[in-house]
Amino acid sequence: MSIYDLILKRIREIQGKTEEEEPLTNISASSMLTAEITLISSILIALIMVRLINKALMIVLVIAVFFIALMITPIMPKLIREQNDSFNNMIFYIVLALGILIALFYWGNLNV
Amino acid sequence: MDPFIPIMVILPIASALFLNLLHKNDRTVKILAIVTALVLPIIPLLTGYGSHYFGGYAPLSQNSAIAQGLPSLITGTQLFIFHPAITYVFASAQKVMIFILGIIAFFAVFTALNETKKPSGVYAFLMFMGTASVIAILLSDDIFNLYVFFEIAALAQVGIVIASNVKHNYETALKYVILGNIAGPLLLLGIALLLGVTGNVNITDIIYSIKHGLVNPQNPVLLMALGLITFGWLYGSGLPPFHTIKSALYSKALPHGAALIQAFTVFMMVALGVIILRIFSYLPFSKMAIIAVSLLALVLSITMAIVQTDFKRILGYLALGELGYIGIGLGLGTTLGITAGLFQAVNEAIITAFLFIGFGTVLYKTRTSDTRKLGGMMFKNPRVALLVLLAGLAMAGVPPLNAFQSKLMLIQASLQAGVPELGIIMILLSIVTFMTFMKAFYTIYMRPKPPELVIHDYKIPKATIISLVAFLIICLILGLFPQIATSNLQTLASSLV
Repeated sequence: MSIYDLILKRIREIQGKTEEEEPLTNISASSMLTAEITLISSILIALIMVRLINKALMIVLVIAVFFIALMITPIMPKLIREQNDSFNNMIFYIVLALGILIALFYWGNLNV
Repeated sequence: MDPFIPIMVILPIASALFLNLLHKNDRTVKILAIVTALVLPIIPLLTGYGSHYFGGYAPLSQNSAIAQGLPSLITGTQLFIFHPAITYVFASAQKVMIFILGIIAFFAVFTALNETKKPSGVYAFLMFMGTASVIAILLSDDIFNLYVFFEIAALAQVGIVIASNVKHNYETALKYVILGNIAGPLLLLGIALLLGVTGNVNITDIIYSIKHGLVNPQNPVLLMALGLITFGWLYGSGLPPFHTIKSALYSKALPHGAALIQAFTVFMMVALGVIILRIFSYLPFSKMAIIAVSLLALVLSITMAIVQTDFKRILGYLALGELGYIGIGLGLGTTLGITAGLFQAVNEAIITAFLFIGFGTVLYKTRTSDTRKLGGMMFKNPRVALLVLLAGLAMAGVPPLNAFQSKLMLIQASLQAGVPELGIIMILLSIVTFMTFMKAFYTIYMRPKPPELVIHDYKIPKATIISLVAFLIICLILGLFPQIATSNLQTLASSLV
């Protein structure tokens, strides 16, 4: 058990916290569906901006993402799982973001 | 030099220290906190535009007494114009933003003192320290001084959450501190690299060095500094990947605390975003990165808001989604786009505070923020329900409220910049924001009250109602007369293009 888990366990002991199970309701199902449609449509619209770099690339990307989205739907449950309050997930994405950011800024600016 | 410029920071810090010392003296704490909070929005209105040099060390070019008789080795080089002192710059954009921050701080403190049984000097200390830090961040032209206040503001936010006595607050505060321990030092490293390359921490001097060829603008160390400073900006602003922890932070604070923390976040985002644009706008990639991160924030936060069941978390994610609009405005890089982004920041700070304090009345009456357990609140508080509904309409961008104007400007700016796709996404996500708000509003206020829900007979304090009405009035004024804010913000926007 890592030091962080030990600290959390201790805090939970002090505060007497318990995890709650979430029931599935009509509202939660329709919310999930709305989020799913919003996510896919926003990504597809955003991808059209690739036309500013290369029109052919934009067409390929939009078609590819459209079919990938169809195949892996539903995306939202996976996204919610990844964006939960787990500290490990947060650290993973923060390190990933730092890596992407530095790589893009360093090579992106030197080559754009 | 106008003495009021440093007073904007010194007054809340001094007051915060006294409030901490006077923690047990309830009456004194209440009076001192209210007086200080009342003065905060007034000072920027009385202060003249200009710069303040700490220690009185103005650049030699502005100090003829010292400059006289100096050798040409100094007077003939950039040393003559560089800023030796920590410099605070107060202009029209700072005036608007500090005024709005002061207003939010006043109503947050006012509500906090009236909603809690015993006024806490420590809680007021944290609120004022945070406010002072964000004012300093807005004023500072010294990037290291800015970093110091950036860290104080982060700690004040953690303190506000810890002092809130909300379930799981310690855990969230601990996570935020640990993540801050990664992002903060990396931001400092970026500043150190900038200092290493340019030999300066004054932002105006750094820009001068880059623009006049004193340093190589394509220096890889400079590019690395940009990456690290952008990473610090993501942390301070709660943009992805920090949006989950930031929304959790909002949800673990009391409503008045959350209202203030989100205002800190909005203005920290603007201050650091403007600095990134000022220093690095010559790199086209910097604007593209700002737009990419903002789009990600917009889509991820709003889609996450829809699926939440805790109304504080819904508001937290919606508030972070709104940051995406600000970022898109800044990233467009045009005068209209940046003005719209800054105006959206002002509007968002007000509207989100309005929503947090408005929905906070539900928490006050029921002691729960779980929308699955709530309902029927409309019959208990129809007037508050109406105010909350208006706040939600304001956030969604419904005319004649303020966000309508800023969102319309943002869409116009995206069309002018040749990227209508951004405009379409902003419209789409405004509709989804409205839908998310209405879902929360329906479950809390309009559906029948669940039999197991206990609604306490506590009367909602008048201070809370006054705060909500005041926020509504500001939303209406800025919606009907947007030029009050935009004319002041445009000067800064023009200087960045």
